[in-house]
Amino acid sequence: MTDEIDLSQLPPAEPYDKARDEAQRARLLDVWKKPTGWRGVSAVNNSHVGKWYLLTSFAFFVFAGILALLIRVQLAVPDNPLFSQSLYNQLFTLHGTAMMFLFAVPIFEAVAIIILPEILGARDLPFPRLSAFGFWCFVIGGVFVCGSIFFGVAPDGGWFMYTPLSSDPAYSGLGTDIWLLGLSFIEVSSIAAAVELIVGVLKSRPPGMRLNLIPLYCWYVLVVAGMILFAFPPLIAGDLLLEMERAFGWAFFDPDRGGDPLLWQHLFWIFGHPEVYIIFLPSIALIATMLPTFAGRPMVGHSWIVLSAVSVAFLSFGLWVHHMFTTGLPEISLAFFSAASEAVAVPTGIQIFCFIATMLVAKVRPSVPMLFAGGALAIFVFGGLTGVMVALVPFDWQAHDSYFVVAHLHYTLIGGMLFPLFAGIHYWYPFVTKRKMNDRAGKWSFWLMFGGFNVAFLPMHWTGIMGMPRRVWTYQLSDGWGLLNMVSTIGSFVFAFGFLVLAINVLWPRGKHAAAPRNIWNAGTMEWSEEQEGTPWGVRSIPYVHTRYPLWEQPELVGEMDRGEWFLPDAEEGERELIVTDILDARPLFVQRVGGPSFLTLGAAFCLGAVFILATFHLWTWTMFFGAGFVAFVLRWLWTGTARIPEKTTKYVGRGITLPTYAQGNKSVGWWAVFITMTGDMTAFTGLVFSYFFFWTALPDFLPSLADVPAFGPMMGGLALMLIGWGMTIASREALRKDNGTISMILLGGSVVIKTAGIAAWCYAAWAVGLDPTVHSFDAMVWMLILWTGLHLILDAVMHGYVIARIWKHCCTPIFRADVINLTLYGHFVAITVIVTFALLALFPLMMGVL
Amino acid sequence: MPELPEPPGDAPRVIDQGSIWILVASPSIWAAHFLISYWVAAVYCAKAPNAAPLMEPRWIAIGLGVFCCALIAWLAWIAVKRYGGVFLIFEEITESSERGRDKFVGHVSLLLCVLSAVAIVFNIIPGLVLGQC
Repeated sequence: MTDEIDLSQLPPAEPYDKARDEAQRARLLDVWKKPTGWRGVSAVNNSHVGKWYLLTSFAFFVFAGILALLIRVQLAVPDNPLFSQSLYNQLFTLHGTAMMFLFAVPIFEAVAIIILPEILGARDLPFPRLSAFGFWCFVIGGVFVCGSIFFGVAPDGGWFMYTPLSSDPAYSGLGTDIWLLGLSFIEVSSIAAAVELIVGVLKSRPPGMRLNLIPLYCWYVLVVAGMILFAFPPLIAGDLLLEMERAFGWAFFDPDRGGDPLLWQHLFWIFGHPEVYIIFLPSIALIATMLPTFAGRPMVGHSWIVLSAVSVAFLSFGLWVHHMFTTGLPEISLAFFSAASEAVAVPTGIQIFCFIATMLVAKVRPSVPMLFAGGALAIFVFGGLTGVMVALVPFDWQAHDSYFVVAHLHYTLIGGMLFPLFAGIHYWYPFVTKRKMNDRAGKWSFWLMFGGFNVAFLPMHWTGIMGMPRRVWTYQLSDGWGLLNMVSTIGSFVFAFGFLVLAINVLWPRGKHAAAPRNIWNAGTMEWSEEQEGTPWGVRSIPYVHTRYPLWEQPELVGEMDRGEWFLPDAEEGERELIVTDILDARPLFVQRVGGPSFLTLGAAFCLGAVFILATFHLWTWTMFFGAGFVAFVLRWLWTGTARIPEKTTKYVGRGITLPTYAQGNKSVGWWAVFITMTGDMTAFTGLVFSYFFFWTALPDFLPSLADVPAFGPMMGGLALMLIGWGMTIASREALRKDNGTISMILLGGSVVIKTAGIAAWCYAAWAVGLDPTVHSFDAMVWMLILWTGLHLILDAVMHGYVIARIWKHCCTPIFRADVINLTLYGHFVAITVIVTFALLALFPLMMGVL
Repeated sequence: MPELPEPPGDAPRVIDQGSIWILVASPSIWAAHFLISYWVAAVYCAKAPNAAPLMEPRWIAIGLGVFCCALIAWLAWIAVKRYGGVFLIFEEITESSERGRDKFVGHVSLLLCVLSAVAIVFNIIPGLVLGQC
């Protein structure tokens, strides 16, 4: 046991004083208010950014939905001459791409950014500017990718972009580059949001909210954000390989040069399958949050649902090959993946059973959100059953690439993701807008969508079994698919009409309507404690929470919060402040100050967007120029917004508790952000390591003779130099701790020089034996690993320069040294990259050569 | 050298008590077993002569599976003994105390152990049935 603060024994709050309350509210408003006019775009507050995120995602959903209707029009009748084959390919590629990357994943982030801080009783998430940056990256990338269809250059290789068609410029044009670079850019925003959400759930909980008291929604967010970190980076690695092949002719996927197109499928589906669960889990989390409200009791099997979420996250990574059952892999391998695919049904089923059990043991109040939730479960269970079918190898061999699969995936995604989301929109609309949606229109939209959806997608099971392949542009009357396709098309329009009703219901101006009651559904979770109007600060004071459903079980709480009786009721220093708590028991650790409105994030996103867009057109000079601009914006952002030395080291937060105002090492949120980001980075690197071994297993002559592998001597020397440089970074941290700033700066500078010499030695090792990345996959792989290390060292050098400047300017001091500690943490990850790369390039060929 | 003020109470205890790690330990064992089985089969099938009897990889998968299940059983024992994990459906571990939090973690860990073991058995079955690449 530890001598924790007993939060339940805090001294009583000071008596209420109206004048004090008003003064505190005025100060809070001043600090948290949104900039007005055109400066509004610089807002970073979660409630604003979340709303923008949500509306933008829905705009892309509408765009992708219109593409889907065009697809259905083309397929409505046989031999339809409406669209050319080329345009049709662009339509279905962009439909899938936009739905997946510009709607399904971003909407998770949008919803989480809006409701997570409130459900945690927090003022905001720990990195509001990062959320804003992610949002702007998403907008710029999304408009770039979607806009391409208006110029006839949209990607047309399917949302999975299979090689070798996509890697050979003779078959695929600019569209593939737009897909690769545009989506890599959007993944930046997904990973930024993942970092934000993980740290948010782990460290921004209200004091007292122990692990066993965290709401289910937060568990799901934590799990899904973790999945993003392990799923997206392999695709980034794949994108990098594919773009290097397309832009510079490096040999990764071209069989004539020792490449293998199947590698792309592996990297894509290691991302692509977990992606399905990345979409599904946050939406099912919305049901898990709403259901207890309407059942009027806690969820049955709370911890069973936590178990399910965690295990689905793990198991879903073992399913990627079930998209590749027909590619000719060994049967024993297929069997492993088939087994894992069936196993994932167990935890998925547990969640559904917990929901049903909760409904059975309570009397559920009927409502529009519950209508959508019920529809969602019905559709999803049906889709899950066909999922069990296609997870079986023999059945999949029959149904593969047919419309049966199209039907299956739409049943799981629309049942598992879209309908729960619509339920959530009806449920949280009063929370976001303080008004209530029209119930009658809600019911109309549900029945139109539910009916339309089933009419559209149920017949596809039959069209698929009757042999209609996916992605065909048109078909003949004699194929016998005409009637079923016409039915599907009619259903799709009914579905679209239902969505139109919902959209009108959402966007209907309700400014003059009466405000909805504060906790309109009588929910138990914290987000409904928010005051009704004009309070951009989230919660008036950060409460002590010691129950799972605080609004039900702590009846005095809302009043106490409103009167400012809990923590941080004021903003005396004019700073936006949060309380950071510990992971296990949410004990208050320190006061975190976060940045306010800023154009820096917008500028950084704009420059990074320009880098990706200009690179698509191979305008390298401009790319470099905007790359420099991006670095400048980010450095300025870090310099002015992070690890600032506070004017006082501690601060009284109320109820007898005084907390530090600065933290470093693994107590600080910055350290966690670096750790989490670098975990994602390591996953991308693992994708490259996987590629190396994939080539080795797939190609008998991947490893050349020992004379043609990177020279061992320079490789060894390079390794030694880079590790010495790493040691110097660590030594500089210790020198600063001992109040020796000058030595610290010298060590940091020296570290950069020595590491540069090290990577130069590796380049020489590859160059001296004549490795040419455009000739063979081994050469390309070697250069890619060296390039990857080199890129990390460039970043490392920039960060070293930044920290030297911080020490020089006394922003990083012997006491306040978060910058140098975070730099060292980054250095540890780079060191792992260096050691593994050395093992692959120098030791492994040697070992195999000896054998 | 003066140090920064410490927050009241102890520093966060993530690693020393292991509470967070025991949650992900058993699914991680599943993941390790799954990946090693796949790699062994992939390397064997690629590097061994075609249609060779699959004695080695299938027995590696099965042997490793048994070892992993034993490891998971040990974790489950820790979840029960040290964390007070129980196997109940209508649990309401909502007590606001360190003990309550521990019991919750133990409970979830125990459930994850059971599920991970089942998933490993799922993966052993192909090894028992399929005799070749």
